[in-house]
Amino acid sequence: MTDFNRVVRYLAYSLELLVLFMVQETPGLMPTIFGGRPLLVLPAAISMALFESELPALAFGVAGGLFLDFGLSGAMGFHALILAVLCYFVSVLAKVYLQVNFVTALITGIWTAGVVVCLEWLFLFYFSGYSMPGYAFYHHYLPEYFYTLLFFPLTYLLNKGLFQALQQPQ
Amino acid sequence: MRDFFKASSFKVLVITVVVLLGIIIYTASAGGSFLANILGFVSSPMQSIATETVDGALSFVDLDGLSREELKAMISDLQAENSTLREGQVKLYDLEQENEQLKEQLNIAESAPDTEMLSASVIGRDPGDVFYGFSINKGTLAGISVGDPVITKQGLVGIVTQAYATTSKVTCILSENVKIGAICKKEDGYSESGVITSNIQTAAGGLVRMDYLSNETKIEPGDIIVTSGSASIYPENLIIGSVQSVEKSENDISCYAVVKPYEDIRSVKEVHIILNFPGKGEEREEIPPVVSGDPQNNEDAEAGK
Repeated sequence: MTDFNRVVRYLAYSLELLVLFMVQETPGLMPTIFGGRPLLVLPAAISMALFESELPALAFGVAGGLFLDFGLSGAMGFHALILAVLCYFVSVLAKVYLQVNFVTALITGIWTAGVVVCLEWLFLFYFSGYSMPGYAFYHHYLPEYFYTLLFFPLTYLLNKGLFQALQQPQ
Repeated sequence: MRDFFKASSFKVLVITVVVLLGIIIYTASAGGSFLANILGFVSSPMQSIATETVDGALSFVDLDGLSREELKAMISDLQAENSTLREGQVKLYDLEQENEQLKEQLNIAESAPDTEMLSASVIGRDPGDVFYGFSINKGTLAGISVGDPVITKQGLVGIVTQAYATTSKVTCILSENVKIGAICKKEDGYSESGVITSNIQTAAGGLVRMDYLSNETKIEPGDIIVTSGSASIYPENLIIGSVQSVEKSENDISCYAVVKPYEDIRSVKEVHIILNFPGKGEEREEIPPVVSGDPQNNEDAEAGK
């Protein structure tokens, strides 16, 4: 029964990532606010890591990151690498140092999304040699960051529900 | 802390990081990716369905400009028709879309009979792409390859920069990476060439720049800019847009024209890919007349770096 619950939970996570990826990529579905659109896969992967142990968190981080890489047509593996490391450490933090609740999840979301968006700007824009990096940061990456943050509570509650409904019986 | 680094999960993390670094280096150098092909196979059919559903829903709720009575009448009419036409509507929508694509393709093909084209739908726009690049629902299996120009009936839209089995990524002309040899021809025989470029600021407004114009340029608002075809990456005389204004360059004594594409590239939904055209990939001997600027720049109509 335990293994069955775990398998169903992992399948649900995979489906969640796929659906959020499609919602994120579908033209016209998520309105543009101040020039930015949200990265829905990011809060989903991070909030999964809050509840799961290190290896599943790492795996779903890689999966979510590969989806982001595929959508962005950048170097395959860039987001996967960032999310793999972030999800692993978030999982360790949640297990050792944090009491997972709404506030700690939100704080985790704030810094992890900040790290991802800043690294995106640094590697995919600034180091790529594009002009006007400051303009890009204020008019594209900052709106994307704040817009993405709005979805952390939603994905936290969704994954918390999934985890509690399908966790190992005590 | 020592236990942390000795944990088996940490070793897995290190291995994962090394593998992902290898994937990054491989895809950055080789271009295509087996992983990307797999993800494309999984996601592109669902993305196509999601895009069609959203388009249908958006066109349905766009009821601006109708009065209350008109809306009521419309609802009652639709309810009466709905039960009988529900199944037919789904089929009709697909057929209409295909019909429009074929009509557009026919119109374009009539004006350029030797051009081989393929219709495709936009199925994805990534929020992380600052230059409004998009994915289309056709890939190498349909004959698309990297470097194929992408157009609509309104003109040039972009260029295919990544081609997977079932999907392709298009970098549009709003991207700073795309540089196109362009020319403005006037009725009085005057012509001047330049290079179409962009940056994030012009891209945000859906505009591009035609750089390297003479400081005595006769180009003025309303003039039409077309491709020069000098580097044989794009066919000759593809419409790019119309001149909105002419400004002095920030860096030298030359001028640049702000060009507004006829197609709103930030929201384009249906496109055509030019698979082949006369002179593709061949270096042309005749370079279009250059009035001013550094001619070397005008020959550098390279794209999709």
